[in-house]
Amino acid sequence: MSPTAGIIDLSIFQVILALVLILAIIVVSVHQSLGLERDLAIGTIRAVVQLYAVGLILAAVFAAARWYWVLLILGVMIGVATQAAVSRLSKPLPNGAWIAATALTISTAGTLAYVIGIVVQVRPWYEPQYIIPIAGMILGNSMTSAALAGDRLQSDLRSRSDEIEARLALGFSGREAVQPMVRASLRAAMIPTVNGMMTVGLVQLPGMMTGQILAGSSPLTAIRYQLVVIFMQGAATAVGSLLFVRLAAGRYITPAHQLQRYLL
Amino acid sequence: MSSVSFVRRDLSSPPTSTISKLPRQIRAKSRGDDWAIFALGLICAILTSLTRSSGFLKARLLYFMTELPLQTPPYNAILEVNHLSLQYPSGRGHSPTQILNDVSFSVRRGGALTLVGPSGSGKSSVLRCLNRLLEPTSGIVRFDGRDIRSFDPRELRCRVALVMQTSVMFEGTVRDNLCIRPANAPGDFSDGRMATVLDEVGLESNLLDRDAATLSGGEKQRVTIARALLRDPQALLLDEPTSALDPPNTFLVMEAISRLRTTRALSIVAVTHQPELVRRLGGNLLYLIKGRVEAFQSFDAADGVLDARLEAFLAGESLNASKGQT
Repeated sequence: MSPTAGIIDLSIFQVILALVLILAIIVVSVHQSLGLERDLAIGTIRAVVQLYAVGLILAAVFAAARWYWVLLILGVMIGVATQAAVSRLSKPLPNGAWIAATALTISTAGTLAYVIGIVVQVRPWYEPQYIIPIAGMILGNSMTSAALAGDRLQSDLRSRSDEIEARLALGFSGREAVQPMVRASLRAAMIPTVNGMMTVGLVQLPGMMTGQILAGSSPLTAIRYQLVVIFMQGAATAVGSLLFVRLAAGRYITPAHQLQRYLL
Repeated sequence: MSSVSFVRRDLSSPPTSTISKLPRQIRAKSRGDDWAIFALGLICAILTSLTRSSGFLKARLLYFMTELPLQTPPYNAILEVNHLSLQYPSGRGHSPTQILNDVSFSVRRGGALTLVGPSGSGKSSVLRCLNRLLEPTSGIVRFDGRDIRSFDPRELRCRVALVMQTSVMFEGTVRDNLCIRPANAPGDFSDGRMATVLDEVGLESNLLDRDAATLSGGEKQRVTIARALLRDPQALLLDEPTSALDPPNTFLVMEAISRLRTTRALSIVAVTHQPELVRRLGGNLLYLIKGRVEAFQSFDAADGVLDARLEAFLAGESLNASKGQT
């Protein structure tokens, strides 16, 4: 790719100018007495600090370009994603952190290996400029869909526990008895991804594509990358939510084909 | 038919022979009997501790070591419950909850037992321990003389069928609902058989093609009973089978249940608040409060001494009210 052809480098002063836009929210909040000023202030500061922290770390890792630094960053990303996925469940899942970590690691590592190694053919594989943003996009999707699927699974197991026990009482195995709920939660997790594919580009340009175009790539190059991203996000969603839901459902079922109602 | 012969075989021949062989082998070594017995004990202890995590293996092992030699084949009790306790483990923010506390009783072959008591007294939990939908914290449940942990739970649940308070209908017709079963599960699920079973619970066979969602409450409940009967159970567990129904439907379901008592010689364990159903079932009454057995009464035996609370219950008063009086 041609490096940064006609890019306007933003100065700190220009960024501060953009901060003026925040005033719009403050005006609305005060005018309509929404009481959001405090959260807004915290949000603004957090955005600046978090993004700068990430930027500094990434700059260091990009400069070093060592595989172990890259793996460390990926590990931290998975850790944070795990925490976020688990905390979105309405009721704590026993061993939830391990289940989420397993599901996210396998789905991300698998998709990432395919995209980096076979599709984009990045050499060396740990080139931070490619692997970190791509991993971030995969992980973000996996995390959202796993949390969505897990939450739906829990509420379905709770609300349909009579149906599960009826199946168990008719001689179904635990796995068979929860299969309808597993299927429903997988559908719930994957539908946003599938629907997203239907309207992509029509309503708004995906963030990564926008970024690439701003960075000077031709729209056609950006689109090729975007297609790869959409497909890999689909794969990560499917694998991540399937693993998460299967493992999570297993926590509520004993080897003796019993539903552990008190956990729900 | 095949399911019945399965128990007999499993009970009698192969395990007994292995047990009786063991001592002979030990005796064959002329010296050091004590050492051999000691070693055997040690092996058993190691095996037990190894299999501690696996409830199934442990139950099997215990069964072969202790239960089998004691069994007298024409076993009179179909269900036998010994010192059953159930406790839900403590989780984040809540302490352990004691659901059942040292509950013991037995139901004889073809007999009936009714569990009564205020709500929250653990009646439904007792039922669910009988077909192993719940795992007791301690105590033993025996079905047909065998620890229920030595059965495959799926097979056990077909033989000890459960009918729940709210009848669960799956999507589809009545036929779909009767047929529903795990892939390659044995049994006769032909239309003729289904018609017979529907007739047993007082339903017409032309109902087979009806959408199950359109049935009345009483019809649904009788379909769930028919669904259990198709699996040829030896015992039927009824969890408040009529409490979600209006009086006419209650009557129809009670009719169906009491008819089964005579035609099928089914053993029945029922949870109910309705004295009428208790009277129709006969057998024994077990009064539970807060997971403990408060009173046990044979309803058939006319020895005159009926627990005051149970008497009040049978006279049609609610149990909570009668509890206040005593």
